[in-house]
Amino acid sequence: MDIGVLVAGLLTLAIFSFLYKDNPVYKAAESWLIGLSIGYALVIFWQTTIVDLLFRPLFSGGRLILIIPLALGLMMFSRFSRRTAWISRIPIAFMIGAGAGVAIPAMLYARTLKQMSACVMPVVENGSFNIEALVVAVGVISTLAYFYFSREHKGFVGKTARLGTYFLMIFFGATFGYTVMSRMSTFIGRIDFLLIDFLHLIK
Amino acid sequence: MMDRLRTRWIIFSGLAIVVIIAYMITVKFKTAPSPATLKAYDYIESLPESSVVIFSFDHEASSLPEIKPIALALLRHTFKNNIRIIGLSLFAEGTSIGFNLLNKTAAEYGKVYGRDYVFLGFKPQYISAILGMGESIKRVFPADYLGNAVDSLPIMQGIENYDNIAMVVSIADGDRTVQWVEYAGARYKQAVMAGLTAAMITSYDPYLSSEQLYAVVGGLRGAAEYENLLEQRGGGSRGMLAQSAAHLYIIVLVVVGNIVYFRSRRRRGEA
Amino acid sequence: MRTKIPLIICLVFGVIMFAQYFSSHPLALKVYNNILEWWQIIFAFTLFIGVLAFVKNNLKNISRGKEPIYKLIGLLGLVLMPILAIAGGTGIDSPFMWSFDNMLAPMQATVFSLLAFFVASASYRGFRARTVSATILLLTALIVLLGRIPLAEMVSESFPKLTFWIQSYPSMAARRAILIGIGLGSMTTALRVILGIERTYLRGE
Repeated sequence: MDIGVLVAGLLTLAIFSFLYKDNPVYKAAESWLIGLSIGYALVIFWQTTIVDLLFRPLFSGGRLILIIPLALGLMMFSRFSRRTAWISRIPIAFMIGAGAGVAIPAMLYARTLKQMSACVMPVVENGSFNIEALVVAVGVISTLAYFYFSREHKGFVGKTARLGTYFLMIFFGATFGYTVMSRMSTFIGRIDFLLIDFLHLIK
Repeated sequence: MMDRLRTRWIIFSGLAIVVIIAYMITVKFKTAPSPATLKAYDYIESLPESSVVIFSFDHEASSLPEIKPIALALLRHTFKNNIRIIGLSLFAEGTSIGFNLLNKTAAEYGKVYGRDYVFLGFKPQYISAILGMGESIKRVFPADYLGNAVDSLPIMQGIENYDNIAMVVSIADGDRTVQWVEYAGARYKQAVMAGLTAAMITSYDPYLSSEQLYAVVGGLRGAAEYENLLEQRGGGSRGMLAQSAAHLYIIVLVVVGNIVYFRSRRRRGEA
Repeated sequence: MRTKIPLIICLVFGVIMFAQYFSSHPLALKVYNNILEWWQIIFAFTLFIGVLAFVKNNLKNISRGKEPIYKLIGLLGLVLMPILAIAGGTGIDSPFMWSFDNMLAPMQATVFSLLAFFVASASYRGFRARTVSATILLLTALIVLLGRIPLAEMVSESFPKLTFWIQSYPSMAARRAILIGIGLGSMTTALRVILGIERTYLRGE
């Protein structure tokens, strides 16, 4: 048997052992996984960002302006001392500010306005009644009413909000159905590995 | 307490047995494609040869069993139609997976690295990477995953930004595709489609409906549908009986759970 | 100064990144591209902070005798991947890639697949038709579960049709309302952050 498949199979079984109960084999595999994941991310971040975007253009390409992000990046390490920790707020403020700046037009146009305009569909088209357009309009308005807390949910607003909860339940139900589908697919994937590659029980 | 544990083990064992037995039986299903899968297939089919498509592996290793059949089906179709692929990742773990899958499928179709496909690797801070590629892909990825200067690769000649990209195919297990839609799509008018884990499908329905997202191949079922269209059996089709059995098992659990609940409620009411 | 400098930086870069959306002037584009590049570089440093904190925490636990073996295993895993990358690179046949393919990826996928069992257990214990809302949720889930399997499709084509209808209209409508709410909320929060009203990110020294 291929050594890689053997290792992967044994580690898979070690993780599955948790289904019986928490045990030392599972705990060891879990710690190993955490360590490997962090080590892996460290390598990928170093190689694709620090080397490719910073060191190579700065030291080989002479782009001196990159000293600014280097300095800002190094400021992050000030978090390890209580006295200097406030310095790390500077690069954080840079990232938060830039993120907020690009988010406003994206959230306004690509999310809010685009989604709102997609709700506007003709209920009667070419003489025929379009029930789906009505369902979507009622669904969006009633669900929004449920999240509208500036007015007490009584009377008409209360009834609309109640209808909104039914639409939300339909969404949660559909999402649950698809989530079950997703989790089962992942499990089937592991069974595929165990039965075909590891145990050679089927071809 | 012991009763609860026993019930739990019975449920767990039942699921394992049902899935294992179902997986060992070979049944060929004819899975009718969903409208979204069909749209994705038709799009790749309609692309002229030598067009360039970005495949972004925006997922973690945890969803690999579900993502792999979807990615393989889409990659095979794209390579089969002689469309060039630029691979990249906005999730660190998607990097190795994307690189492996791309090389595996490229080898099946005799594609040459650097000419027919390339893997640019990973970049953190997905919003800045997505926006940056709208101005210059080479600036965000000056070197590919193997360290080659991107300028030196034949596939990258004439590729500056999204203007030269026909479609972004985001293979995702979370909301990374949303960022492709809301940043690359809205600002640079880049067409985006997705290969998603089933759990994410309902979250993307509004984007499909508003046509901000072009198409979706969702879950193992979506992979099976795509494999059927391609007439090439793979992981998706193979898992369909086990998937059906698992769903039926869950339905039985829900029904039995409710019967037990209502019977105990009635008994409490009588007492 | 400790608060004012970060607030000013946040305001300046927030305004620049917002304003550039409306300008295609070469200078605006140059500034925009530089900021996008810096953002990625600085973000990468945040990972190194996390790694250092992980190492520090684990070493502390080892010295205090708190599950030292597991902490040591974690640290060994962390050290192994960079060593493999330095020794053999990160190419397709490298030991680094071998470790990813045969250790990291299978374990991650298996941990995630455990959820299948807990979903099954939750379906039995928690999915009860107690109220009208719970019944709607339950029925929708059952329809979707049936509608997306080939076995049910062979019995009747109505199952997938009904599933797609639910997914495309009532379920989508609720999700759309949630998205609109999130969009408005995110926009407001972003504005509050730029203007320095929202300062949560300045906490925690």
